[in-house]
Amino acid sequence: MSVGLLSRALSALSVSRAVSPQIASVSGVSAALTGSRGFMTSACVCQNRSLWKQREKYTVRPIGMKKTGGRDYTGRIVTHGIGGGHKQRYRMIDFQRLRYEPGREDQPIVEKVVEVRYDPCRSADIALVAGGSRKRWIIATETMEAGDVIRSSSTIGRMAVLAKEGDSHPLGALPIGTLINNLELLPGKGAQYIRAAGTCGVLLRKVNGTAIVQLPSKHQIQVLETCVATVGRVSNVDHNKRIIGKAGRNRWLGIRPSSGLWQRKGGWAGRKIRRLPPIKSFVTPAQ
Amino acid sequence: MFNATVQRIRTPAFKITKNCKSKDCHSVLYMIPHGRRFLSTSSCLYGKFLPRKKPRVVHEIAGLEPITYADRMHFVPGLAKPRFPPWDRGWKDPSHYTSPKLEDMPLHKDKPCYMFNQRTNVLEGVRQALWLSKSVIIKGLPAQILALAEDPANQIENQDERVQDAIKNSRLWDTTEPRPPRERFCPSLLHRLLHLCDGLQVMRPELAKRILAEKYSLAATWRRGEDVFQVRGQNGLLLNSMTPVPVLAGEEQIQSTADQALETFYPIAPTIDLQRTHIYQEKNDTGFREGYPYPHAHTLFLMEMGNTPKLFPEQLRAKMVMFAFGNALARAQALYGKEPRVLEKPIVVQSVATNGRLFQFVVFQLNTTDLQSDSGVKNLVWVDEDQPLYGFAKVWPFIKKKVVKVPAGLSGYQPNTFKKFLALYLHGAA
Repeated sequence: MSVGLLSRALSALSVSRAVSPQIASVSGVSAALTGSRGFMTSACVCQNRSLWKQREKYTVRPIGMKKTGGRDYTGRIVTHGIGGGHKQRYRMIDFQRLRYEPGREDQPIVEKVVEVRYDPCRSADIALVAGGSRKRWIIATETMEAGDVIRSSSTIGRMAVLAKEGDSHPLGALPIGTLINNLELLPGKGAQYIRAAGTCGVLLRKVNGTAIVQLPSKHQIQVLETCVATVGRVSNVDHNKRIIGKAGRNRWLGIRPSSGLWQRKGGWAGRKIRRLPPIKSFVTPAQ
Repeated sequence: MFNATVQRIRTPAFKITKNCKSKDCHSVLYMIPHGRRFLSTSSCLYGKFLPRKKPRVVHEIAGLEPITYADRMHFVPGLAKPRFPPWDRGWKDPSHYTSPKLEDMPLHKDKPCYMFNQRTNVLEGVRQALWLSKSVIIKGLPAQILALAEDPANQIENQDERVQDAIKNSRLWDTTEPRPPRERFCPSLLHRLLHLCDGLQVMRPELAKRILAEKYSLAATWRRGEDVFQVRGQNGLLLNSMTPVPVLAGEEQIQSTADQALETFYPIAPTIDLQRTHIYQEKNDTGFREGYPYPHAHTLFLMEMGNTPKLFPEQLRAKMVMFAFGNALARAQALYGKEPRVLEKPIVVQSVATNGRLFQFVVFQLNTTDLQSDSGVKNLVWVDEDQPLYGFAKVWPFIKKKVVKVPAGLSGYQPNTFKKFLALYLHGAA
C-alpha cells in the first residue's frame, strides 16, 4: 500500500501525468500486472556485527567475539547492565555428543580427554576431547581430568547401563536416579538444558517410551527416552559459592551497575511459595 | 562465512587522485577478489568487504519451462529471470579466474591423502611420528656419536670460550633494544655455532664437501595400511654432503626391531591433526635436481621461534622425526625406486632443533621403505631431548626482594650440549 501511495504522490509531482499507475493503485490491482515498477524504501541492512558467529565449519581454535553492550541492530540498549569487561574468545562447543565422524558412523564413539580448561563464555569448564581424527570441545563434568576415556552411545538395552561419569547415553538406557546434565529435548538436536556450572538433573521415572527428568529448578519435564544426556554433574561445582568481592570484578565480567533510582516494587517482587507447575511434555502425541 | 581472508591489497586506479599520498599509489589494483567492487577507501586498501548475500534460490520444476524475458531483451515484471549458459572467455584471464569446484579439479582423487607440513602440530607428539614412520625409539644418542663428542681430538681450540662468546653475541650484544626477540637471536645463534664448527675444515678437509641449503621444498609419499601419507614443505636448514652418513645400527639391531610392536594410542587415530585432502599429487622430491653435487642429506636444522605456530618440545621432536624421515624416504626412492623394500644400505639423516636455548637431537635411520604393514623390520630413531646450552642469558639481573636470583649476562652454561652438536656435525667426516 505504501508503495502505491508513494508512486501516486511522485506521479502527481511529475509534469506528464501517468494515469494508469494511479488507476491501477486505486483499484487495488498489483503493480506487477499493470507494469509500474516498484522501488525499495529501506536500505539494505548488512552489518558487520554478527558476522563473527556465521561460521559454519566447526573449529577448535577460539574465535574473536564482538561485544554488543546490550544493544541491538538499531543501536538502542535492549538489555541493561551489559557492557565492557575483559575481551573474550569464543570456543565452539559441540553440544551434540552423538556426532559421528564422517566415515566412522558404524564405530562406537570413544574419546580421550586431552585438556580441561576455563571458558570465559560460560560458568562451566570445558574439555578438549579427541577421538578418531577429530578434536572437539564439550562441557566438562565434575571429575573429568586429562587422560580420561569417555564414551557416547545410542543403544538402549533391556538392562540399564552402569553409568560412568562423563559418558553419555540415551535416557532409556540409564538407571533411574542417575544425575545427568547436558540434556537434549529432541533426539539429535543437541543439549539445551542443564549446562551451567555445578548443575545436575535427576532421572525420575521412565514411562512407555519417554522419561521424566527433574531439572535443577525442580521443574519436571517429559522427553523421549532416545534423547541423549551426559552422566554426572557439570564441572566447576563451587561456582555459586564464589564471592565477587568488589565492584571492579563485576565490571571485569561485563556487568554494568544497575540504575540507582529507587522504585517501589510491585506484586512481582518477593518470595513466592507456589506448587510446581505440571510436567511439561516435549513429546508430541504422534510419537 | 569468510570465503576470502582479509588481505592487504593495492589501491585501485580510479581511487588515485592528486590528493593521495604517494605511498598509497604504490601499484594499481587490477585484481578484485570475487569480482566485487569496494566502495570506500579503507576497504580498497585493506581488501575487507562484507560478504554478499546469497541470491534467492530458484527451484526448477521438472516439466515446466519458466517464461523468461530473454527474447524481449528487457526486464518485464512478472516474468522469470533468464538463466544463460556460462560464458567462456576463450582464453585465461588471470584477473577474472574462478577456480573449478574441488571435484572437478584435475588432481582430484577419491582416496584422501594425509599431509604433514611445516605448520602441523600433532597431538600425540613423537608417538604419532613413530607410528607414521614405522619406527622404534631409543632414548639417547648412539654410541658412535657420543664417542665423537667425548674425544678431545675433535674439540675446537678454546671451545667453551668461543661458544659462550657466540651466545653472548646473539643474545645480548646484537641490538640496541633491551632484548632481541626470539626470531632474531635463534637464527643468529644457530648460524654462529655452525660457523664455529666450520672452522674445523682446516684440520679435516672432508668437512669442506658439504653445503648448507635453505628454503628447499621436500616431498615424500608413502602408504601405511590403507591410507596415503605425504610429507611436504620447506622445513629448515639442510646440511648436504657429497658422501652418505655412515650407518649406525648393526644388522642384528635392525633385525631385532622386527620383534618390537608399534605403539598405538587408541582412541586417537594416527591421522589426527594431519591435513586431509583429496587433491594431491603423489610426489617424491628431495628438493634438489639430479646431478646436484651434494646429494646426501646430512643434518636438518629446525628453528622453533614460536610464530608458525608455537610448538611444544614434544611436538617439535615429532616435526624433526617426520622431516628427517621425509628426507631419508625421498632419497631412498630416488636411489632405489618406488618399490617398497628393505634397504641393504640404510639411510641415516640427523636433525637438530633449537628454540635459542634448548636443543633437541634426533638421528633417524631408514631401514625399510615397506611401510604398508605394521610388522617386519622397522626404522630406528635416536632422540636426545631438551639439552640446554645455557641456563639464562639476561640483560638485566633478576632481583627478588633485593637478592639477585639470576645474575646479568650468561649463566648456567653446559659444555656437553655443544659437544653433542659438534659430534653430530662431524659424524661422517671424522
